[in-house]
Amino acid sequence: MINITLNGKKLSVEEGMTILQVAQQERIDIPTLCYHPLLEPYAACRMCVVEVKGDSKSELKTSCNTKVQEGMVIETDSERTLNARRLNIELLMARAPAAKVIQEMAAQMGIEKTPFPIENPEAKCILCGMCVRVCEDVVGAHVLTFEERGFERKVTTAFNMPSEKCIECGACAYFCPTEAIRVEDFRGREVLHSELTLGPTTAIRIPFMQSTPNVPFIDKDNCIHFKTDKCKLCEMVCEPEAINHDVEDTFKEIEVGSAVLATGYELLDCSNMPQYGYGRLDNVITSLEFEHLCHASGPTGGKILLKDGREPKGVAILHCIGSRDENYMKYCSRVCCMYAMKMAHLVHEKVDAEVYEFYIDIRAFGKGYEEFYNRMQKEGTHFIRGKAAEVTNAALIPEEENKLIVRAEDTTVNMIRRIPVDLVILCPAIVARKDSEKIMKLFGLCSTPDGFFKEQHPKLGPVSTDADGIFLAGACQGPKDIPDTVAQGAGAAGAVMSLGDEVAIEPIFSAIDEEICVGCKICIGVCPYDAISYVEDKKISSIEETLCKGCGACVAACPSGAADQNCFTNSQIEAEVSGALF
Amino acid sequence: MKPYRAELMVCAGTGCVSNGAFQVKDALENEIKERGLENEVRVVTTGCNGFCGVGPLLVVHPDGIFYQLLTTKDIPYLVEEHFLKGRPVQRLMYTPPEDKLPVPKMSEIEFFKHQMLIALRNRGIIDPENIEEYIARDGYTGLAKALNGMTPEEIIQTVKDSKLRGRGGAGFQTGVKWELTRKAKEKTKYIVCNADEGDPGAYMDRSILESDPHSILEGMIIGARAIGAQQGFIYIRHEYPLAMKRLLIAIDQAKEYGLLGDNIFDTGFSFDIQVHRGAGAFVCGEETALLSALEGQRGEPRPRPPYPVEHGLSGYPTNINNVETWANIPVIISRGAKWYAEIGTENSKGTKVFSLVGKINNTGLVEVPMGIKLRDIIYGIGGGIPDGKKFKAVQTGGPSGGCIPDSLIDLPIDYESLKEAGSMMGSGGMVVMDEDTCMVDVARYFLTFTCDESCGKCSPCRDGTKYLLDILTRITEGKGNMEDLDLLEGLSKVVKETALCGLGQTAPNPILTTMKYFRDEYESHIKDKKCPAKVCRQLNIYTIDEERCVTEGHGCGVCMRECPEKAITGEKKKAHKINQEICVKCGACYDVCRFGAVIVE
Ligand SMILES: Cc1cc2nc3c(=O)[nH]c(=O)nc-3n(C[C@H](O)[C@H](O)[C@H](O)COP(=O)(O)OP(=O)(O)OC[C@H]3O[C@@H](n4cnc5c(N)ncnc54)[C@H](O)[C@@H]3O)c2cc1C
Ligand SMILES: Cc1cc2nc3c(=O)[nH]c(=O)nc-3n(C[C@H](O)[C@H](O)[C@H](O)COP(=O)(O)O)c2cc1C
Ligand code: SF4
Ligand code: SF4
Ligand code: FES
Repeated sequence: MINITLNGKKLSVEEGMTILQVAQQERIDIPTLCYHPLLEPYAACRMCVVEVKGDSKSELKTSCNTKVQEGMVIETDSERTLNARRLNIELLMARAPAAKVIQEMAAQMGIEKTPFPIENPEAKCILCGMCVRVCEDVVGAHVLTFEERGFERKVTTAFNMPSEKCIECGACAYFCPTEAIRVEDFRGREVLHSELTLGPTTAIRIPFMQSTPNVPFIDKDNCIHFKTDKCKLCEMVCEPEAINHDVEDTFKEIEVGSAVLATGYELLDCSNMPQYGYGRLDNVITSLEFEHLCHASGPTGGKILLKDGREPKGVAILHCIGSRDENYMKYCSRVCCMYAMKMAHLVHEKVDAEVYEFYIDIRAFGKGYEEFYNRMQKEGTHFIRGKAAEVTNAALIPEEENKLIVRAEDTTVNMIRRIPVDLVILCPAIVARKDSEKIMKLFGLCSTPDGFFKEQHPKLGPVSTDADGIFLAGACQGPKDIPDTVAQGAGAAGAVMSLGDEVAIEPIFSAIDEEICVGCKICIGVCPYDAISYVEDKKISSIEETLCKGCGACVAACPSGAADQNCFTNSQIEAEVSGALF
Repeated sequence: MKPYRAELMVCAGTGCVSNGAFQVKDALENEIKERGLENEVRVVTTGCNGFCGVGPLLVVHPDGIFYQLLTTKDIPYLVEEHFLKGRPVQRLMYTPPEDKLPVPKMSEIEFFKHQMLIALRNRGIIDPENIEEYIARDGYTGLAKALNGMTPEEIIQTVKDSKLRGRGGAGFQTGVKWELTRKAKEKTKYIVCNADEGDPGAYMDRSILESDPHSILEGMIIGARAIGAQQGFIYIRHEYPLAMKRLLIAIDQAKEYGLLGDNIFDTGFSFDIQVHRGAGAFVCGEETALLSALEGQRGEPRPRPPYPVEHGLSGYPTNINNVETWANIPVIISRGAKWYAEIGTENSKGTKVFSLVGKINNTGLVEVPMGIKLRDIIYGIGGGIPDGKKFKAVQTGGPSGGCIPDSLIDLPIDYESLKEAGSMMGSGGMVVMDEDTCMVDVARYFLTFTCDESCGKCSPCRDGTKYLLDILTRITEGKGNMEDLDLLEGLSKVVKETALCGLGQTAPNPILTTMKYFRDEYESHIKDKKCPAKVCRQLNIYTIDEERCVTEGHGCGVCMRECPEKAITGEKKKAHKINQEICVKCGACYDVCRFGAVIVE
């Protein structure tokens, strides 16, 4: 331990600490600009100077890199320090007049104007080197560097060209204290500085709030370490030392007797519907994106905000986007009407905005649903009966300037309406997942014409499938809301439980006569249930009886007559036929 | 070695070489051969002699006769007269200004008389490319003593007792630095010789490297032994190709003699030296920036602490010393700390090399004991100010030093006194200024340099020096106001107090000292819009003395032709006139008029 005097207070502190660290521990405010606890001290902004008093002379030292020494007497707010900080901030005010941190720091010191000439009123960079250092030392991408020296110094890339070495991690912008670095998303839209800290793109995160286990995982696709071999900042801050980048994914095979498929659904991709401007116009989002926005774990902490950070004054919710539509999905997605009204309710609750629902007709069929619809009408939601035809930002009248305009035919009054709003929420059709074909093949299932998994029987077998021991639950079988999903899930669980230790199999199945089979493998291709496999050492095909449904496809296909079906053997059928004929 | 009747030591320092020393040498050799004297007289090329102002020059050994300002044309006569007939040539000897009689012997010339050579002990005496000559002058005896009879601790104690301080500028005690590096925990340790010498006008390091490279190697090997370093680096400015070449030769020879490399003197001690060519920026001479550059990174200072002695090259403890510092080491070891500590003042021991330039009769490199009076340098060694002008000030310590006014002419030259006067020792530059110098302009001149050389890392230096320069320029253009003086002073102090490295911390020194000693000059620029020394042209008024123009110059009209703005009118044989409305005060007319008819007010 080391004894020092900080602003007149005697302290005993740990050896190796910097003056800044001690001051922060003591809740003494020292302004810093180029310091970041995760980076090596750089000591370039000189804002963190403090006065270190000696016997004969006292000196100004930068607190971010000066370590405490025995007997040090430190003043963080002496006239000399304040004076030095003042002039230094005035220098930075001239260099980076548009930088908010600088303006705020100056204001705190009571400085309104710099006595030095301002060359570029838009300039923000204070040359703190945060970006260069993080790119170099943490990320290890070596993209950013300084160019020129002295007053002309600036941050740049090699040859001032877009760099191929950039891994697009955004760390430079995240560390930049002045918002001098602009980041664009893949659509070319500017990502706001305040958004840079947000959930889903960070490489280490808890997948979602209710996830089990509720711990963070490392997303190797986004983790800097897996791109440059460096970074590992998370290891520096994780006190229990729980982080291990070297863990590999492991695959476990579990043998089970039956399975419940609950793979859910997807939303129709709205970027293929240019009339709604999704992906092209700012502030046109899907219902799912709105759910994320509203959520406490979402990007704004649950606040409903436009892209530029304003609150919307008008919100339009567009039903049946791709549902009940000859061009897309003919069916009704079942859940949109109700969740759309729930969203209207959320908007009313959180912001002061007008909400417009554009619908074909409201389908509120569940328990208490109609009542909710009535309540929403009373709450002041505008229900416009008519499917929205277009979303545009082309204003025709002054009130439409800088707005999104929803155009629809209002079928109650038989006229075209243009409603200017700030936020448009699309309710896209609920569709089968892209990978459902694969799942079906894997489990030996079929689908209904809408693409969802086919149940064994719409009335008599709504949870079971054509494959023994495979059950369905939720939206993978067809659009449905949570109560229905849960009910179906419970049913599926019950069905699994009732199977007991044994699986009842079809009494009729096929078999291959080993003596006759020539191993041509034709039968393997035709079996819809994947019940036939090739036995390498015997060079023949063989049928797994428990999988076989006895459909007879192989029997018909086998060129050598090796496949045969019990209860329906060729000789039996021939006997039956001749019996019937003669 | 074969004994010769006479040895002609031709200076082959960079100054003399650029004035034709090699042609003189070739002419000498040819002439000597022609006269059949080649077995009696030998020509030796040496490193810088120091009296660069009068090169090419040669010193005849053993009698010590000094010839100066030689051209190839002088050689046949010189060889015939002196070396054939034995009659030294007076015409080619040094004659002090105001004196009629030449001074034949080098040791009696004022310029050399007051000097005391330790770091420059071998200058002009040995062939720097021949290790034998270095050894013949007691070279490597210090190393032999250090390796065979002394422990590392004893070596360090000796250096500490000598009170040698770093000659690179800051004046940190060398022995203390060595001790700190030795005590640092890591086993791997480095030593570095800082030969980046970036101060404009300073060239003592180059001179040592060129005239006596082995003295640096010997110093470094001793240092490595004391500190426990396995590897040394010499970071040399890329503008010093000759020095570089001689260093490489010296290193090869030292290795051949077993003085460098593995198992030196069979003591089991191994040490190697690598030469690294610098990239050019002034700030790379700063120790932490130098280390960054050595590591292959951008040559930019790093925050200290940690100091290089604990966290230096690639993170290992590193001891950095200046060329001149290293060159002192062998003598301190061989002759002892007591001997060395007797030279100089209480806190500044030994000698220091200065480069004396500017408005002074004798320019060149001089090595003098610490504590010598400024007067003895200016009027003794330097031979006073040319053209009978008045001495005004001397700028010491390079661009980041300060100006010492004539009122302090009896100031003893040592670290403390210079610092107290607002200047510094720096690397030993001394620019002498006479009455025709404008002190505001001097400050502006030096700020232009530092502002240009600022690396731009820390804001007080990067932006502060730029605005300081802006203000100074404003004042020299007559656009300043009295508030500017407060801003100048306030900003100077803050830049000095808060800049990251020595460059910024000292850059305002020229402003602060000139403001302290010559405030009236600043005020007259601002209040009267006049430059007392008539240097700041924007404040001058150029007129033509019509009478002189006609009577002396017969209205020659040269000024009219030179004036870029066509502000001058007149006809041949008639008086010319300047139209003040058009005149932009470039001073071209003043510069070209040979009859003194253009008057500056
Ligand atoms: C915007 C919006 C708002 C809604 N609001 C409401 C509401 O307020 N109330 C309501 O009742 N309903 C609401 N719904 C409907 C609700 O989302 C669905 O009823 C419900 O999500 C269906 O649940 P599920 O488990 O079938 O499918 P999902 O919720 O889609 O879950 C399927 C899960 O299976 C996983 N999965 C998929 N394939 C595989 C595979 N091969 N291997 C392993 N895992 C896989 C998926 O990652 C997913 O986690 C809303 C729907 C939308 C689009
Ligand atoms: C801007 C700047 C430039 C410097 N240039 C040199 C130089 O050219 N040569 C040198 O020896 N020291 C130079 N120094 C001093 C070095 O930082 C360092 O103090 C010195 O090399 C240490 O050696 P010494 O203890 O032997 O003096 C410079 C310092 C600064 C701040
Ligand atoms: S862009 Fe930002 S982080 Fe980079 S140097 Fe400028 S202010 Fe600092
Ligand atoms: S003082 Fe000047 S040269 Fe030194 S770090 Fe700062 S900007 Fe660079
Ligand atoms: S925070 Fe210490 S110098 Fe910038």
